[in-house]
Amino acid sequence: MTIEFKESEKELYVGLTGRLDTAAAAEVSGEFERIAKSADRTIVLDCTNLEYISSSGLRLFLTLRKEASAKGGKVIVRKINDSIRNVFTMTGFYSLFEMED
Amino acid sequence: MAEELKYDLDLHCQMIMDDYRERKPLYEKMKEIIVPRLLTLVKSNGLMVDAVEARVKKEKSLAGKLALKGHKYASLDDITDILGVRVILFYADDVDKVAAYVGKVFDVDWDNSVDKRKMHELDSFGYLSLHYVCRIPKEMYEDAAHPEINEIRFEIQMRSALQHVWASMEHDTGYKSDIECPREYLRMLSRLAGMLEMADDEFVRIKNGIATYRRKVESLMQKGEFESIPLDGDGFKSYLSLRPFDALTNRIASINQAEVREMPMMPMLPLLKEMGMQTIGDLERFLRENEEDAYNLALNQLADTDIDILASTVSLQNLIIVAHLKNGGGKRALKHVYDVLNGESPHNERLAEMQYDVARKLAFMNK
Repeated sequence: MTIEFKESEKELYVGLTGRLDTAAAAEVSGEFERIAKSADRTIVLDCTNLEYISSSGLRLFLTLRKEASAKGGKVIVRKINDSIRNVFTMTGFYSLFEMED
Repeated sequence: MAEELKYDLDLHCQMIMDDYRERKPLYEKMKEIIVPRLLTLVKSNGLMVDAVEARVKKEKSLAGKLALKGHKYASLDDITDILGVRVILFYADDVDKVAAYVGKVFDVDWDNSVDKRKMHELDSFGYLSLHYVCRIPKEMYEDAAHPEINEIRFEIQMRSALQHVWASMEHDTGYKSDIECPREYLRMLSRLAGMLEMADDEFVRIKNGIATYRRKVESLMQKGEFESIPLDGDGFKSYLSLRPFDALTNRIASINQAEVREMPMMPMLPLLKEMGMQTIGDLERFLRENEEDAYNLALNQLADTDIDILASTVSLQNLIIVAHLKNGGGKRALKHVYDVLNGESPHNERLAEMQYDVARKLAFMNK
């Protein structure tokens, strides 16, 4: 699991590559805490190369969304694949995020 | 001296202007005490307030007033609107409530307070507000260095939003009496004033009507008379307070010992209405008839996954999916459900296919 950051004045771009499974979620939780500090802006989570998301990964997304909502920012989830879309829908969390193709 | 000459005031008025300049910081201080107090007052009493605003009269404006009628005032103390505070409320009937609260917490100079709302002749025009002339009581604020803070009078205007619209427009046109106003325009203004007053009354009537309706829904809900409660926003909200979907949500969560996060169910109401449900009784039947199948659907979705976090809406979402599939709606109906819940997107077609594949192995699909 790798994370790529690009920061501009308006938004924080976060490119996620690989499988965000339980072990990976534990590894990157520190990085997500760092991302949460930018929650007053737009955070783009680019999932073009994200293959899988576990519950732990979902929790990271949900925590980020909660932070953004409290700080007046927003989280855009970009280009999720069908199986991740299915996880978001099945669990009932899909409508919480701004999904982008 | 140069400024006083500029205003062309007599000696008496110049002395009032001097007092005003000296006292201006005190007026500003009073403003800081009064506005937060009023805001707390209206909000803690549950009134819908549009704005609480205050201003200290500008020097130029006071000079203009003195030039016109300075002889009426013996001293600055006689001018009660140097500090003017305004409370603008959504509803006209809340004006009297605010007035009652103001009367309790401030010292009101009743001899100089007027209810202009009751001053109109039958054929006059205008739509005015309630003005109280007040002082800050010592119980609210006291400063030994400035005891005059409890003596200086100020005005509180209390208005509905529409009374405020009228007052602002009237101020802008500059017409205050039929002497200045051509008859044609006077008539138009009268019609407008009447319309605003009627609109204010209607808003109050609607507010009261809705409150009565909500009380009735609550009462029917408590008695369990679900068949008599329409499935609308109020009925659904009231029903949700009974937490009717918790049992199914918890049962689904137990499949993977999942944590349940609260999510609003309200966005699902349009889907329930579309399915032809008209009363909370219909919704109760829908729940009873579909809960076992909704649970079985969740079992098939979740059992071979490690998903241990779910939204509280998952139960109602599955109930709706199951009901559509039982009614033969197929993938098309599922896509529609996702279009409503997720927003329209071509991806919803793929989601519908995936869900359909999971569901078609279930018993209810093969009956």
